[in-house]
Amino acid sequence: MQIIEAGVINKDYWKNLWQRRQLLYFLTRRDLIVRYKQTLVGVAWVVIRPFLTMVVFTVIFGAIANLDSSGLPYGFLVFAGVLPWFLFANMLADTSNCLLANTGMLTKIYFPRLIFPASIFIVTLIDFLVSFILLLAMMVWYHIVPSWQILFFPCFIFLAAILGAGLGLIFATFNVKYRDFQQLIPFILQLGIYLSPVGYLNSLVPRRWEIIYSLNPMAGIINGFRWSLVPQSIALDWRVTLYSTVVSFAVLWIGIKVFRAAENSFADTI
Amino acid sequence: MSYAIRIEHLSKRYMLRHGTSAGSLKELVEHAKRTLFTKLDPRKSEEKDPLEITFEEFWALKDVSFDIARGAKLGIMGRNGAGKSTLLKILSHITEPTSGKVSINGHISSLLEVGTGFHPELSGRENVFLNGAILGMPRSEIIRKFDQIVAFSEVEQFIDTPFKYYSSGMKVRLAFSVSAHLEPDILILDEILAVGDMSFQKKCLAKMDEISQSGATVVFVNHGIEAIKDYCDHAIVLDKGKLVLDTTNIDEAIALYLAETP
Repeated sequence: MQIIEAGVINKDYWKNLWQRRQLLYFLTRRDLIVRYKQTLVGVAWVVIRPFLTMVVFTVIFGAIANLDSSGLPYGFLVFAGVLPWFLFANMLADTSNCLLANTGMLTKIYFPRLIFPASIFIVTLIDFLVSFILLLAMMVWYHIVPSWQILFFPCFIFLAAILGAGLGLIFATFNVKYRDFQQLIPFILQLGIYLSPVGYLNSLVPRRWEIIYSLNPMAGIINGFRWSLVPQSIALDWRVTLYSTVVSFAVLWIGIKVFRAAENSFADTI
Repeated sequence: MSYAIRIEHLSKRYMLRHGTSAGSLKELVEHAKRTLFTKLDPRKSEEKDPLEITFEEFWALKDVSFDIARGAKLGIMGRNGAGKSTLLKILSHITEPTSGKVSINGHISSLLEVGTGFHPELSGRENVFLNGAILGMPRSEIIRKFDQIVAFSEVEQFIDTPFKYYSSGMKVRLAFSVSAHLEPDILILDEILAVGDMSFQKKCLAKMDEISQSGATVVFVNHGIEAIKDYCDHAIVLDKGKLVLDTTNIDEAIALYLAETP
């Protein structure tokens, strides 16, 4: 027996979500098929964007500004910053758009709405893995051999992903009512790529700015990402890493709370 | 329990915005600014703000109560704006009621639209699986019924062609065909029977008969009086969100509905 009443919180929400895992599978499959099978450009796009960003940043920060690379090839250093950044940025942009992109389904059929961002989460991680192959190739090319710290590598991928997803959930919720939140996102990402250590190393930030700089959780995540690959050249600040970890989980938690609180009215307001 | 669905004092209120085109951040900020200024300057508050945002209540449903018996075939009638679709949306869990209560016995499948979630780039085959998953069919069930679904839709030849190349007739036939192979306890349909050509419509009605003969409860909205007359054994008439008639005498309901329509 099922009861529908105003303002009653569905206690079985997570159970329902689990029951609909096949839908998650087919939605993810849909997005992957549309991107990877039908359009050749789609696959290339996943690799070309981070690759070109890497080339431009390497020229500007490495060749022109001649910044310190801590003995690493500059292109590798930049690419190891571009990858987690693009993972975060794509997660944020796609998650924030996931409800508007599925308006038709949202207003015509019920299932736990978190399925949309969950499917984006998987698709974006798969996109990341594709561009990750390029990073592996670079490591082989430059003879970079990782050591035991590589075990932490998946943790930093995960942190970048949940930080993006958490922010994305908040934006997705506001987007339903105020469409122009969507226009804020490219702007945030455009500034964020310079405010995060994507084209340069964290160690170049002057000491007196260090604390303020590290408030951006992506600073700790990108640094940790590089550290797990080349620990002999990059130092890890445990306090900054811990801060980024706590912030990422907190943002994801808040994102889910905000999304869930507004979920029942999505179909009315979209 | 003899009922499949019991609806008690169900109401749904929408807030209509007046004053500005709804929902932009800029307008929200401007509105906050104006409110602040009128507070700071009491003289201004006497003038009417031409851009003021006001809200008007709109009751799409107001205090509706009735039971739907298990195995019933309910037809919902009413003019545009009577609250039919809102009622179906509440029953399908898409929107929340403002007050009141609905008790449901059994598993609901609702079809408010044919082909929800069909993607133009995917093939017919992939769309069948996707749409089946959206409607809540387990994958094993879709695999088992796949041949039946395709045969019913009469698009066998094109099943691996991208959906975007289908004619509109083929699209609705395939989409309806997936829906028709659900095995729900309660089936909710919103004006979706008007798809395809005459012979396909006949097939659809026959399929609906089959579904209700299996003991399922069927609730549907249809403007076509013929379909309700032929098919239903219970009817309600809604007008401006209120329940005006709840009867098993279909002719009486149709007469009332026709009398209401100017």
